[in-house]
Amino acid sequence: MRKLRLAVALAALTVATPGVLAATQAAAADNSITVWFDATRQPSIKAFEAAHPEIKVNEVLDDGSSGASGTFQTKIGLADQAGSGWPDVVFSTQNNDASWVSKETNGVQAFAQVLSDGFLDKSFLAGFTPGALDPVTIDGKVYGLRNDLAPVLFWYNKKLIDQFGYAVPKTWEDYQALGDKLAKDHPGYFLGSIGDSFEGPYVYYWSGEAPIFQLKGDTFSSNVTDPNAKKVTDLLDHMLKNGTVTQDSVFGASFVAKADHLVAIPGPAWYSGALFQNPSGVNAKPGEWAAAPPLYWDKGDKVTGNVGGGVWYASSHTANPAAVKTFLEFVISNDQTAGTGGLPAYQAAADKWLDKQASSGFYAGDFKTAVSTAASHVWNGWAYPDFSPETAWAKIITPGLASGKTISDLAADWQQEMKNEAQVVGYTVN
Amino acid sequence: MACLSAPDRPSRVALTPAEWLGRAFAIVLLVAFALFFVVPLIWLLIAPTKTDRELLLDAPLAFGSLTTLADNWRALMTFQSGLIWTWIVNSAVYCSAALLITLVTSIPAGYALALTEFRGRQTLLAVTLVVMLVPGTALVLPIFLELSAVHLIGNPLAAILPFSFFPFGVYLTYIYFSTALSKDLLDAARIDGAGELQVFARIAMPLATPVVALVAFFNFTGNWNNYFLPYVTLPGRKSPIQVGLAELLSNVPAFNPTNAASTTISLSSLALATLIAVAPVMIVFLFAQRFLVTGLTAGGVKE
Amino acid sequence: MSIRPDPAASPARGGLRQSADHRSSIERAQRRLGLAFVSLYSLFLLAFGIFPLLYAIYLAFTKRGAFAGLTNFAKIFRDYRFLPAVEHVGLYLVVWLAGLVVLVVVLALIIHAIGTRWLSTGLRFLYYIPGALAGASSVMLWLFVLDPTVSPVSFVLHALGLNNFVEAMQSNRLPVVLAVIAFWTGAGGWIVVMYGALNNISRELIEAARVDGAGPIRTAWSIQIPLLRKWIAYMVVLSFAGGTQLFVEPRVLSQASRGVVSQDYSLNQLAFLYAFKQSDFNGSAAISLVLLVVALILSVLFVFRGGLFERT
Repeated sequence: MRKLRLAVALAALTVATPGVLAATQAAAADNSITVWFDATRQPSIKAFEAAHPEIKVNEVLDDGSSGASGTFQTKIGLADQAGSGWPDVVFSTQNNDASWVSKETNGVQAFAQVLSDGFLDKSFLAGFTPGALDPVTIDGKVYGLRNDLAPVLFWYNKKLIDQFGYAVPKTWEDYQALGDKLAKDHPGYFLGSIGDSFEGPYVYYWSGEAPIFQLKGDTFSSNVTDPNAKKVTDLLDHMLKNGTVTQDSVFGASFVAKADHLVAIPGPAWYSGALFQNPSGVNAKPGEWAAAPPLYWDKGDKVTGNVGGGVWYASSHTANPAAVKTFLEFVISNDQTAGTGGLPAYQAAADKWLDKQASSGFYAGDFKTAVSTAASHVWNGWAYPDFSPETAWAKIITPGLASGKTISDLAADWQQEMKNEAQVVGYTVN
Repeated sequence: MACLSAPDRPSRVALTPAEWLGRAFAIVLLVAFALFFVVPLIWLLIAPTKTDRELLLDAPLAFGSLTTLADNWRALMTFQSGLIWTWIVNSAVYCSAALLITLVTSIPAGYALALTEFRGRQTLLAVTLVVMLVPGTALVLPIFLELSAVHLIGNPLAAILPFSFFPFGVYLTYIYFSTALSKDLLDAARIDGAGELQVFARIAMPLATPVVALVAFFNFTGNWNNYFLPYVTLPGRKSPIQVGLAELLSNVPAFNPTNAASTTISLSSLALATLIAVAPVMIVFLFAQRFLVTGLTAGGVKE
Repeated sequence: MSIRPDPAASPARGGLRQSADHRSSIERAQRRLGLAFVSLYSLFLLAFGIFPLLYAIYLAFTKRGAFAGLTNFAKIFRDYRFLPAVEHVGLYLVVWLAGLVVLVVVLALIIHAIGTRWLSTGLRFLYYIPGALAGASSVMLWLFVLDPTVSPVSFVLHALGLNNFVEAMQSNRLPVVLAVIAFWTGAGGWIVVMYGALNNISRELIEAARVDGAGPIRTAWSIQIPLLRKWIAYMVVLSFAGGTQLFVEPRVLSQASRGVVSQDYSLNQLAFLYAFKQSDFNGSAAISLVLLVVALILSVLFVFRGGLFERT
């Protein structure tokens, strides 16, 4: 019996050793690259494989580091420790990975290939929408390529606005005033939600040009008492109080139940598919909703926020840089699949995508101008450190609001939590 | 007829009020817990028949429609051309292979620890217990490094081998054999001339069916639900179902809002996928149930 | 009834010396078999248990390869998330262990007392099914079940004063919520184990007790539970260790609540963040070691009180 066991063990080992083609090692000899990506990017990969049959793509499907899974960072961390197993190209749905892929970690070279020092042509890099590469540019070097953009614009229900006879708000002050009017004349109708942790920081504070999430080199700072930050806080508290901004998640039952009472909502470009054209969301009818340029403070800069937008990274360990270059250029600029369903980050592809969306006629108003304006006016005073403002918001603000406090009450704790989180990942805090 | 602990009493004799109360209390407890365990599952069972909108707005236990069920099924099947089945098959292969190896290594080891004498027995027991208490997080990096050193990352063995290490099963077997069998019984057999292997095969193994069943399904289901190690060692098409479910989750807008709408999985499809993922475990449990009861009148029980 | 060798049956006189030789050769054979039987398991133990443990110890006391004394430990103790995590885990453990031990034993005893086979099997099956939903697959389930607006058990949640999902995720209630989730997935398995252990108790013992006039509770308390000592001790040791290593449930809730339950709720989660978010494997190992030591200290207690190492 013992001999049998030994034989089984030996057999297992013999099967293992030759049989492994580590899918994560690129072999320049057979012109292949290993790409980590998620299901939504599949069309891009398929289009590339069809257009470039000479390059073999080892596809590795994962979750794209969605939510807080940290897939990208976890696996690269392990690969670094093992000294092998890096892919050639990685897609991540998060846009703050440049903060760690650009650094040497635990003595291992930085994972990301610098793309702006000759790896890619300057003319190619210049083709991105202005500001699209801000999250991945550190000290003037570009570490990744933005796949899609998610700028915040102002969506409004044209039917209801016309029905009530209001003007479409252009500034945050207009927005608050509209809220007051609704609360008085049409209670039950509302103008937004902060139940999801991306809404507060990105849609309101970032668009409101509030310096609550800033990075200078390795020093993190957050100032909730800054005049702009205070303006946003007061705006939100005011509208929470009169019920025109709710605490319900936009994906929750309470929101969906009263979605026909939503008069307008500032939000990212992808609200288009996720909310308005979604049967389990707002479920709008064609022509009902319209897109308008983002709101700004009266006498303030015309800037807006951004909620997401994935990035492609190239590995500095790659053995096949030529194929990686071809891949990246294709996937970013290919008209059919660029942006993989969202607003492409490459200007030329974005224009075509916007034309296509506008021609469907689903939205009233000038969809293309609204989105393009938003896309090119994302405030560059926001930071992309190795942690997200959403965690602090969800930890401090969301439960605090639910127990009856105001954002004003919680702002100091929120700021402190963000600073604490910055410290544990290694930033200095001032 | 269900009877609770009163086989000798003729059923016509009335039970005392205290006994009635006790029995009623026991029944209430059983039913309450049955509901506790089952109601969320019933919800999950019904969820794939509803659209996301119905999930959010209709009554929780209301049935949806079969067309929605068909739609969700189709959505799952077309996700990456039936990737869910690849995941299930992967899980089945890894867990079955690991199960075989586990049984071959753990049952004899447990027997030896319980009923034989050798130097280092106590140490082995102690080390096994200590290792069982080590937090899983601490094990990931070293195991990853080991597997990477022998170039097994991405190979099914990267899941099968760690899955086959099952100290919980060894300890279970140890406790079982040390309580269910007496050394004297074995000694008698030995003195009568039986060799050690014969003692194991002829006396211990026939009595071991319950513990083999227990170890088998704890091992199988534990490995089936194991997420983190396969997540880092077997990405892509080799992933088992739990890792796959997490990938499906990342395509549900409610959990991953920034994902553009080209590949979306609805919550009800996710519910269906969850049910598909747990079905094999259910089947294994039903199958193993039969063997768990046979310890009832097995001989050699201690005085 | 145990079988003893009958002295009268052994061969006469010379048989005594013969049987001494026989005994020592039996002992040797036993030792050989014992060692052979644990050999393969020991290989696995070495590869996936001992080596990782030693590596973790090595990591905890070094930094980038150089000896670092206790600096890693100092760093984790000073982390602003450490004490809250300890508090969370502590509260959880109290609720979890108390509930688990009491309820598992009680339910197992009651189910075992049921005479009808299909009822007993059916109940065990029902109690066990949730165990299949341990882990990542249950995120969606809890997203709905714990949200009073859509939950099938909304009346329970409303009765507890919870009106929306965020309220259910408030940190002062979380230890109980997490314990309930852990119980839901874990109790069934232990009930099955206890049931099997109860089956091994001789029928005659129970009969004898009943004849002596003991009611079901007396029988349970004086006969069945003492005989389950080892199993209960095993359950307590593992559940305690599992409890200190709380990871899956808060992680699932963190995902389901989209961050309201923070990612650093438990100590094991903190270890995870250190390793994979902060790239600090040394700090992570330090936290894991602390968890291990705590689990060990209390396990030693139970091992000896429960007689886990005895072999009577």
